[in-house]
Amino acid sequence: MDAPSETAPQPARDGAAAARAIPPAHPSRRRLGRLSVGVRQHASARLQGAVLAGGLLTGLACAAAILVAAGIGPADLVQEFVVAIVTSPESAAAVLVQGAPLAIVGLAAALAFRVRFWNIGIEGQMIAGAIAATVVALHDIGPPALRLPLMLAAAALGGSAWILGPVLLRLRIGLNEIISTLLLNYVAFNALLHLLYGPWRDPENNFPNSQLYEPSEQLAELGWQNLTWALPLAGVLLLGGWWLLSISRFGFLTRIAEANPRMGEAQGLPMTRVILAATLASGALAGIAGFMICAGAEHRLTQSFASGYGFSGILIAFLARNSAPGVLAVALFVGTLFVAGQSLQVFYQIPASAVQLLQAVIVLCVAASDFFIRHRLRWLR
Amino acid sequence: MVLDFLMNWLAAIPGFVVPFALAALGLLLIEKAGVLSLGAEGFMLVGALAGIGAILGLGASPLAALLCAALAATLLSLLYAVLVVSLRVNQVIAGLSLVFLAQGLTGLIGTGAGWVNRPVDGLRPVPVPLLGDLPLIGQVVFRQDTVVYLTVPAFALVAWLLARTMVGLRLRAVGDGPDAADTAGIGVSATRYGAIAAGAALVGIAGGYLSVGIARIWVEGMTGGRGWIAIAIVIFARWRPWSALAGALLFGAIEALIPRIAAAGIQVPQYFIAMIPYLATLAVMVWTCLRGGGGSMEPRALGRAHLREDR
Repeated sequence: MDAPSETAPQPARDGAAAARAIPPAHPSRRRLGRLSVGVRQHASARLQGAVLAGGLLTGLACAAAILVAAGIGPADLVQEFVVAIVTSPESAAAVLVQGAPLAIVGLAAALAFRVRFWNIGIEGQMIAGAIAATVVALHDIGPPALRLPLMLAAAALGGSAWILGPVLLRLRIGLNEIISTLLLNYVAFNALLHLLYGPWRDPENNFPNSQLYEPSEQLAELGWQNLTWALPLAGVLLLGGWWLLSISRFGFLTRIAEANPRMGEAQGLPMTRVILAATLASGALAGIAGFMICAGAEHRLTQSFASGYGFSGILIAFLARNSAPGVLAVALFVGTLFVAGQSLQVFYQIPASAVQLLQAVIVLCVAASDFFIRHRLRWLR
Repeated sequence: MVLDFLMNWLAAIPGFVVPFALAALGLLLIEKAGVLSLGAEGFMLVGALAGIGAILGLGASPLAALLCAALAATLLSLLYAVLVVSLRVNQVIAGLSLVFLAQGLTGLIGTGAGWVNRPVDGLRPVPVPLLGDLPLIGQVVFRQDTVVYLTVPAFALVAWLLARTMVGLRLRAVGDGPDAADTAGIGVSATRYGAIAAGAALVGIAGGYLSVGIARIWVEGMTGGRGWIAIAIVIFARWRPWSALAGALLFGAIEALIPRIAAAGIQVPQYFIAMIPYLATLAVMVWTCLRGGGGSMEPRALGRAHLREDR
């Protein structure tokens, strides 16, 4: 790719050498030709689709190669990742259960990225949200009938409170939000550990997790497999996110904030407020995702309920190009990885981090494939 | 009692400074060439695992293990270089993905090879003759291991390289104005590849020092955010090598203090103490922002991919 620079003249040691004309290319190189990289102004939808598919397939192939190298037979891979998901209702339900919070963290990341705010602190916001929801649950705040809505609201508040600091610091003094949101993950995690190993430790068995939520504090089951109301909740939020990003005036403003906030400011558009609203919503969604996992699946606050979701959210938003329908599709795909990864963990002793590796490999391949959309390669002779 | 506490603390500081210092130095080298390096945590993790792996798997000496750590991080950095320099992938996405790739990879290899929680013989202190017997100074400065002694010369070397040599001038030119550097005949891609490889080697040694020098054990995710703190140190230092060393000293001092707070009988919940490095990093970043941008050596083309045909 950097072939063009190879034909550049040797770095000048002094002014006189620099003033010399560009020497002719080496004869042998001229015979072989060289790769020329040009910028492609317009890529057809077909090309984009083909390149995306190519990147995805390359990523999946690399991921499969890694798992085979880790000692899993190719036949077992197909069994775990494809056959099990398609044929067994348990696995399909598990993908949906897993996909619901993934879609919400993906949406959270997409909202923030839409205003060029790199929210790397999704896990911290999930923890803050889940802690807030657990406060409501443990202290029995409000009547039982309203307990779940209250927990949801508390989670949303907790999540946005956790992102508020980085946003304000970025807007007021230009503090790099990548670092600040990331550091707050570690702070939130230590706060969680403090609570779980201290005041909130389960009195019944002394395990470092909170007491079981009461039935009125758990998301009820839908009646098929182990699906809960987390799924419809995720559906509603995704629908809202789609409206917000693609239909509403706010979505249009986020596009300006993404492309050129200064221009928007000069036009008298409320750019600061748009960035603030989008990022606070992002934090709120992350908090809600934390609530969904705790109230829908774990039924208590646990140590590692948020682990891995932060990166998955970023990856989902990136692959989905920050669009809500895309988030849904990619979240289900990542949910499949999670579910298959869990069974690999149980049956093949593959550590949980392998799922992270697979996601990273896939996203890197897709990101790299973008090059072929944005550039035109030609072989010059 | 107070003196004992102080002496223990001061003597522990250099060891804790080294990972921050070397990582920040490596990052600085990469960023000076205009490449954002959010993958620091990943390079450190790979270095940490490679160091332990070299000792457990190959029976290498601790110093050879650190070379393996550098090599492993450099290998991973070539992947990063291909992605961000040649394929021009968004450097934030590539850097973050690299961290997660490294987390997954080290978790998989560490568990698969059975290197988890197996103590190794790490670096030993090498007292300097005569100087090591000095009161106070001797114990704090001259009874450390080889890597501690080599850290300050490494900074001097990089600072000299960047400020006084043709190589450094080209590197800075590529980081400040890749288009102009290209016109002047400097190979932008080649320079960036070189900077990434060399910088990652330093970050890898920093990671290897964590596992081989300090912990003497491999635990999954053992870097615990130090790579991110190193990035913050580079920002705090405004991309100046010696200021980065000062920043590393600050964080090394904080980290050396942490295990001593509880030992000194001060009653603070341990998880609040564990938050201190991250909160301190935030505070330092806020202070850096408030101080304003005057005198910053931030590369002007940081994070921007270069393509001649773009012009």
